[in-house]
Amino acid sequence: MATLQLKKLTSVWIITILVLFVLAIVFGILMRFNQGNAIHLSPVGFYSMMTIHGLTMIGIWFVAGMAAVNFLLQRYIKVSAGINVFALVLTVIGVVMLWLVTFVGEFHTGWTFLYPLPFRGAWKEWATPLFLLALGVLGIGWFVWSAGMLFQIFRKYRPAQAFAWQHLRKGSPEIETPPFILISTVTLIGIITCLVAAVLLLVLYFAEYFSSGSFVNDALLMKNLTFFFGHTLANEMLYLGLASLYELFPEVSGRPKFKMTWYVALAWNCTMVFILTAFFHHMYMDFVQPFAFQVIGQMASYFASVPAAAVTAFSVLAVVIKNPIRWSLTNTLFFVGVTGWLIGGVGAVIDATISNNFVLHNTLWVPAHFHTYNAIGNVLFSLAFFNWAANEFGGKGHTDKFTRLKMTLLIIGGSGFVIMFYIGGAYSVPRRFNVYPQEFSSLSILASAGALFACLYLAVIVWFLVNTVNKCLKVFSAA
Amino acid sequence: MDDKHTFTLVLFFLLTVGIVAVFLYAYLSSLPSSSAKGGLTNPKKKRFLLFFILMEAVIILFTLTLPRSPYFFFANSTPSKVVFVAARQFSFAMSYQTIAPDTQAPAKAIELPRGKPVEFRVTSFDVNHGFAIYDMSGNLIAQTQAMPGYINRLRWVFDSPGEYNILCLEYCGMAHAFMRTSFNVK
Repeated sequence: MATLQLKKLTSVWIITILVLFVLAIVFGILMRFNQGNAIHLSPVGFYSMMTIHGLTMIGIWFVAGMAAVNFLLQRYIKVSAGINVFALVLTVIGVVMLWLVTFVGEFHTGWTFLYPLPFRGAWKEWATPLFLLALGVLGIGWFVWSAGMLFQIFRKYRPAQAFAWQHLRKGSPEIETPPFILISTVTLIGIITCLVAAVLLLVLYFAEYFSSGSFVNDALLMKNLTFFFGHTLANEMLYLGLASLYELFPEVSGRPKFKMTWYVALAWNCTMVFILTAFFHHMYMDFVQPFAFQVIGQMASYFASVPAAAVTAFSVLAVVIKNPIRWSLTNTLFFVGVTGWLIGGVGAVIDATISNNFVLHNTLWVPAHFHTYNAIGNVLFSLAFFNWAANEFGGKGHTDKFTRLKMTLLIIGGSGFVIMFYIGGAYSVPRRFNVYPQEFSSLSILASAGALFACLYLAVIVWFLVNTVNKCLKVFSAA
Repeated sequence: MDDKHTFTLVLFFLLTVGIVAVFLYAYLSSLPSSSAKGGLTNPKKKRFLLFFILMEAVIILFTLTLPRSPYFFFANSTPSKVVFVAARQFSFAMSYQTIAPDTQAPAKAIELPRGKPVEFRVTSFDVNHGFAIYDMSGNLIAQTQAMPGYINRLRWVFDSPGEYNILCLEYCGMAHAFMRTSFNVK
């Protein structure tokens, strides 16, 4: 049973995330309008926005998944509220630092901050060390949070049980591992691993920064470390969202809880292993990267995503098909989110195939697929949790008004927005161009059209924000 | 849009339609919450079939596509021309000779033969850049990265004569969108 303290904390997370989400969407829309020549931002203004847009989106949906898992874990184990507060405070400090760095310091490396760009840009001198420090602050908060939750899981479940290995043997196991515990464990392990890589990356950056030129990093190693950290974290945030789905989707649909089976256990153990090497697909176009890594990258990209996606999709479909379902905004968001995740996954698998990547890498195909599995995938998983939690905290039951209207507008807005990216990618339009060169000028209309669809998506999010915040605030008045 | 890009887009949209159709069917087939229990018939058989098809598809995709990776392109041929490429914020230097970091590359137009393999030796003198070759119709036909401290070798055969554009496809700073050059194929 969640304590009032945990409800308050989760409410603060939800409100903070939704406000930042709205702002980050606005930045995204402005960038697309700029690419469509409808408005004119300075290059520094555009790329600063691009940097904070990426950092904010990854950051907020990561902590959204963490806050949800933290809240739901309370059903099985006790999680420290102090660590949750610590993570919240450090996240807020880190976000403020990042916004300061980008908008006052004009730091504009993109969220990937590929080495050695942070040392070679036209921004304020203090921006680079403060940016690295901000990452350090966020990293500490998130590491402690993840390690704290994992520690508590391992206090109740032996590691082999938390990984559900007993379900891989024949016969009925004595102790059943809930799918939520397995996915949370797998994901927290992945998060801790990639945060360790982030520590190494930051140490190497600071070593060069303070060496006055006597120490220079290796660009290929730094790129591998950057994507080991960045790609893995972005993937893990999706799995955090899926953990909520496994816990809540059958429950809010009025169906029996998901049970652990050998194939769920196998799929998620596969994901835990393969996800740690899928990041190699970011280096396909670095032909000097060892060939074995390229092969591992393609194979891991397939085997990290396909089994988990197939198991989840099948489980969700089996719950719904020809079964009595209590549809609400929460489970509709989960359901549509799985569809968006799979479609984005198809786009991702196409791009993670080396022979395709050769003509798609760094075109608009890339933002196309990751916006699909985020904006109409993972984000919907977290919104589903937010809606469920807000109804728990201050709603009148789990019925919501205008569910069909909200979902229809969200789907039209989200789909229209990403379709423009896919078409742009197929036309070889480069990503991360603030303005399009002559040969793509006729396609800039796609950018403006995408921005208009995104406005529709934004309108639904603002509507959702108002409803959700109202309900969440009731937790504080209840005290 | 060339054939390869068209195929990719059509394949993606077909698979999308398939996924949406399955989920729409599931949604429409669901019953009011007060109904008696229904459910999927033969779920284990269907699950096995789904997994079997997906795993087969993944293995076939892997086996068919890996040999088409750019690392193998014209690996056993001798390039008829070698072009050295040095990228720096925000321009490309191209030369038939090696380019030293502290010198300006000769401003000589690059001309490459049609129908014969050529090799680009691509590096960067500052940050990461992209080296992406676009044909006359604006299709991205080949690319590699320009990374400081490393040389990426890209081999290609140009079938059509004309002016090909090079764009930087790795974000490298505020003038990234304007970093470009071109060469001719005769």
